Amino acid sequence: MRSGFDISAMLVWPIILASIAFYLLGAKESPRLLFAAALGTAVMMMWAQVIVGAGGSLDNQRVFGTLELLVAAPVPLVSTIAPIMIGSGAFGVYGLVVTLVWGRLLFGIPVMIENWPAFLVALPSCVVAIGLLGLIAAATFILYRSAFALGISMQYPVWIVTGLLFPLSLLPAWVGPISWVLAPTWGFRAIREAALGGPVWSSIGMCAVVSVAYLAISLVCLAYFERLARDRASFRLA
Amino acid sequence: MNGLRVFFSCGLTSCRALFGWVNPYVFIPILVVYPIAQILFFSYLGRSAGVESDTFFLIGNVFCAASVAAMFGMGQAVGGERRFQTLPLLIASPVNRLIMYTGRALPTVLIGFLVAVIAFVCGAAILGVHVGEGEASALVLALLASCFTCAGLGLCIGSLGLRGRSVGLFADVMSGGLLIISGANVPLEKLPDPVQSLSSIVPLTHGIEAARMVAAGAGLSEVAGLLGKELGIGAVYLTIGLVLVTVFEREGRRTGAFDRF
Repeated sequence: MRSGFDISAMLVWPIILASIAFYLLGAKESPRLLFAAALGTAVMMMWAQVIVGAGGSLDNQRVFGTLELLVAAPVPLVSTIAPIMIGSGAFGVYGLVVTLVWGRLLFGIPVMIENWPAFLVALPSCVVAIGLLGLIAAATFILYRSAFALGISMQYPVWIVTGLLFPLSLLPAWVGPISWVLAPTWGFRAIREAALGGPVWSSIGMCAVVSVAYLAISLVCLAYFERLARDRASFRLA
Repeated sequence: MNGLRVFFSCGLTSCRALFGWVNPYVFIPILVVYPIAQILFFSYLGRSAGVESDTFFLIGNVFCAASVAAMFGMGQAVGGERRFQTLPLLIASPVNRLIMYTGRALPTVLIGFLVAVIAFVCGAAILGVHVGEGEASALVLALLASCFTCAGLGLCIGSLGLRGRSVGLFADVMSGGLLIISGANVPLEKLPDPVQSLSSIVPLTHGIEAARMVAAGAGLSEVAGLLGKELGIGAVYLTIGLVLVTVFEREGRRTGAFDRF
């Protein structure tokens, strides 16, 4: 994060994605729709930060030779990897602030939060759920030196199937069940319903459910992939 | 003869390094899955908003896919040398700089073109967009012109790799900016006037406009002017890039910046 180029990437992408959404959806002239688009863009940034940002950070650990030290530390691997993922997801909160301010200043989109207490619960629930989904992906980052590329390719597909900027009804019916197991679906619903009204607590509950499931899956995956990487002595392969 | 050898060997080695030294499997997730998913995302967003057609978003994002390959590839062609600590060796070599850097640009142009063709074919098949065979040759020319322009801008970005790290991320931001500024995903008339002015001097804008006109039935002669503008902009970027490379190399030697990461 010392590099100006790193920071420019963090600063600019939320603005680019939010602007495209605002310009396209602005044709419908619905402030609620545009506000929901701003929230969707923020969740998009959370996922991007987790899958690309955190993936890149693990990739750097491998290149600089510190991945071995992380794995060799006398603590469970999940306790060193999970904070990287959740921390990256938390950076998506910055994306939320940027998109809301950008939308307010340039497009006149009002900031409307109907249920502040629920919103303040929904936001960290969304961050944690997305971060823990990234933890499953992190297991592959441990094993494969090119998993970062895989992470990049997983941005748009998840944005599409979780209905962050357009309704799932536009997509084939088989996409629905896929969206149910992905954290951005429930995280976005929780934030949107807290802001615009709806059954927010059930969405927050689903965030908690998928978070627990992700944690359990990632513990198994991390243990398996760590053992595999130790067998192959591939931590150093950059 | 030696210049020709350097041109091709530099380009090939740099290209192989970009995709993980020996194995091109990184190509598929980044340069096949990513652009196709991007086309689908913006096409569905357009459908949801009731703005423009699938053809509009298909063409816009196919050109953006080419730009990612060309700009990111060219940016990393220099930035990657710093990451793997081979930049000082590269700078110390007595090779002609024009040949060395243009040799690196050639594979990125070709890869950008290949990526765009794959994305176009797959995207058109998924979205049900049909483009006639007669229009294909003009589309190919528009695409090649835009790939050249992006490689020119990529060289400008790559030159920054002589001054700082993470230049690949910067290329990523620039290619992200093109999603909107070039009119790839938002009709240009919807953008504010300053952005419209900026769009006329960035890569892709004229190439995308030409390709959309061709898809709508225009002949090659009708879009020749737009293609000429696209190539002219590319030549300007290439020239600026070579000047920047020369200046930053001299500055890097003076300040000993090549070893820093």
